[in-house]
Amino acid sequence: MNFWETMTGSDLTREWKAFETRAKELPADYRAAWEEIKGHLSPYADFTGRNLMPILDNALGLLEETASDGQSIHEVLGDDIEGFCAALAGGEGARNHRDRWREQLNRNVAKKLGRLGG
Amino acid sequence: MDDLTEMLKGTLEGCVLEIIGSEETYGYAITRRLNGLGFADVVEGTVYTILLRLEKNGLVQATKRPSGLGPPRKFYVLNDAGREELARFWAKWEYITSRIDKLKEGGR
Repeated sequence: MNFWETMTGSDLTREWKAFETRAKELPADYRAAWEEIKGHLSPYADFTGRNLMPILDNALGLLEETASDGQSIHEVLGDDIEGFCAALAGGEGARNHRDRWREQLNRNVAKKLGRLGG
Repeated sequence: MDDLTEMLKGTLEGCVLEIIGSEETYGYAITRRLNGLGFADVVEGTVYTILLRLEKNGLVQATKRPSGLGPPRKFYVLNDAGREELARFWAKWEYITSRIDKLKEGGR
């Protein structure tokens, strides 16, 4: 990744396009699951969404492998796509907005308390 | 039996370690093995997220191998750290089940 790509996110656009091209090859019910996965993963995105790229790549990889096995999407993901996404994001250590807000709040409170105490 | 998922959650990782410990295997086979044991609610996605975690924590060694058709499959074996973790899992399991059995029998 070069500086230009970092600033414009053009590498992300390219990656998104590559994901969507791969997703188009999937059977219809798998494509529907892919849409749902993207929705459930978005709360875990950082500012640019860059942290989600490897996670989405993993999820898409699983869909591709299992689709080519001829498994039904229900055998693969069951009813709990949200839980699957949380486990994926958690497993990869994705930090969501809430975590960062909480950290910031903690820092600010600590700073204020420090000022009072000092 | 329905609604086992909540109770299973904490132990599923140990179950997957045990299955990998007995022979080199891959996600689909692990899922079917668990289903065969009677854990019908376990789907491949669940096993997949566990496998990612095990790999990230350095408990398994993964090798990609071509499969008959479609993309290559990832096969997993336990490494030394994985075998230690598995032993710890069974020790904890032993502890919990012995305590709970005691409770059930009304002992104190």
